[in-house]
Amino acid sequence: MVAEMTSKERVLAMLNRKQVDRIPAITGSTMVKEYIEKSGGSWPDYHSNAEMMVNTAGLMHTDAGLDNVVVPFGMFIESHALGLDVKMGRIDIQPSVRSFFSKPEEVKYDNFLEDKYVKTTLDAIKLAKEKFPDAAITAFLVAPVTLAGDLMGAENLSMLSIKCLQKEKQMQKMKEWISVALEINKIYARACIEAGADALYYSDASASPNLVMPEFYYEIGVPAEKELGDFVHSLGCPWELHICGDTTPIVEGMSATGANCLSVEQAVNMSEVTKIAGEVPVVGNLTPLLMVEGTEEQITGAVRKALDGGAKGSMLGCGTPPLSTSDRLKTWVKAVADWSAEKL
Amino acid sequence: MEDLPEEVQGLIEELDEAAEDEDLDKIEDLTQKLLKTGVDLEAITLKKLSFLVMEGEEEMAQGWTRVAIQVGLDPFKTLIEGLAEGMNLIGKKYEQGEAFVPQLLIASSAMYSGMDLLEPYLKREKGHTSKPVTVVIGTVEGDVHDIGKSLVKTLLSANGFNCVDLGNDVPASKFIEAAKENRATAISMSTLMTTTMAEMPRVIKMLKEEGIRDKVMVMVGGAPVTTEYASQVGADVSPHDAASAATWLKSSVNDFPPECERWN
Repeated sequence: MVAEMTSKERVLAMLNRKQVDRIPAITGSTMVKEYIEKSGGSWPDYHSNAEMMVNTAGLMHTDAGLDNVVVPFGMFIESHALGLDVKMGRIDIQPSVRSFFSKPEEVKYDNFLEDKYVKTTLDAIKLAKEKFPDAAITAFLVAPVTLAGDLMGAENLSMLSIKCLQKEKQMQKMKEWISVALEINKIYARACIEAGADALYYSDASASPNLVMPEFYYEIGVPAEKELGDFVHSLGCPWELHICGDTTPIVEGMSATGANCLSVEQAVNMSEVTKIAGEVPVVGNLTPLLMVEGTEEQITGAVRKALDGGAKGSMLGCGTPPLSTSDRLKTWVKAVADWSAEKL
Repeated sequence: MEDLPEEVQGLIEELDEAAEDEDLDKIEDLTQKLLKTGVDLEAITLKKLSFLVMEGEEEMAQGWTRVAIQVGLDPFKTLIEGLAEGMNLIGKKYEQGEAFVPQLLIASSAMYSGMDLLEPYLKREKGHTSKPVTVVIGTVEGDVHDIGKSLVKTLLSANGFNCVDLGNDVPASKFIEAAKENRATAISMSTLMTTTMAEMPRVIKMLKEEGIRDKVMVMVGGAPVTTEYASQVGADVSPHDAASAATWLKSSVNDFPPECERWN
């Protein structure tokens, strides 16, 4: 029997493969409309106002009961800081990147940390640490393959992922993009860790077999993520790796990156991927839409199924939908606690 | 191709290389030489085109389209039995889990590179086809992901549908306007994100409010969209992938009232 833990202790124990008092319930993105409104946030200010951001993200911990507090609210920060066009979305739609570069040399990142959204992220991490010392403060960041995809355009990434396996010249081109992405990743990672992040949550959405060739992921994606992950570890911080879609063909590669935990989508079979991942904790697998329209029975059933399948943390398979409701989020956390009390 | 005489096989290989190098003079010269051998160059060209598109060999598909034009092959036949056939072949492989999205994308590029060359010749031919069935296609508002939608468009085009592509981040009202304006037979909506799925029922609700829901078939698709969701929001179908979308629509249009009946 493990003594009662704080949320932060619980998350870090899971990430370090230690025993937990109950399974942690964690989240990736947290731009939930109900909480934005409840905390007095206004669109689009909560993207550039650290206090508004933390007040909203904090409700995921204090009201819903999740074990981490995650900032920022979308995968657009890096791209904006590099000068790409970003459409700010709506209160219920996350911002999205609308342009890309033609070649790696065009990407300038000397003033990356001066960007207003990057600054907001760093300020929000510091503020969240002060306000919620018992929660795992987590920075939501874009991982190298996805960042390279944002830089060159997702369709170009997808096509280059096969061409680079066929032709050396294309491989060189791909490596140049990844190299730039990694430089940017490291600058941002260091800043987040120095600001006090307890963990970094990396989404490598575009490394999915739904978009790029699995062989490409093994040849380019895994070494890139590992390089970034080793850098993060060298600064004393754990990191989580999320990849969208049916990741079954690449879970072995994901496990080889050194990530402290792997986050997978609802498209995979949890029992199958936990077997492949071996010692590396796997989280995720819950259908995000359950938080918008799921019944109590459906939510509880999905939570139990993922945990019975060997998940070490309970998490939605993708981001938390903006239209999630607080009662459903609470049902999720309760289901995790009940399962833990019964089976841990 | 293995059954062909050695001399012909040699010329085909040389033509592949010339096409890859985009050496137009050499392509022309080798085409003449192939013609002189007396082989069935039409059959060879169509087979090459479908294979090259399937393999995503853009330059070579373009080179062999030049061959088709030079020997005076029917441009519609070149398109349907050559280029589009290759797209369908890779689409089927994808449907069976034997190919990945990047392979579809490079095949799509190869097909369009050949189509660009054929286009002036296609326009010159008149009275060749009946009016194609129109599909209004787009990614819903808030979602900028283009790839899935574009693949559906490519496969639909390869199967003879006329696609009105609204792009991505398309407001609900745009789908309605385009359907009316083009007297569409189907609307195809795509989203990759759970966060924007709610836009799909919004479009369907607007179709009902405008009194045109029964004039169009509604297809919804994308990673998070399931058959259950499609039926729950009142769509007609959520095909498993781009190739299934084309297959489903091809068979469904036969049982759907014709455009003049629906829109008059």
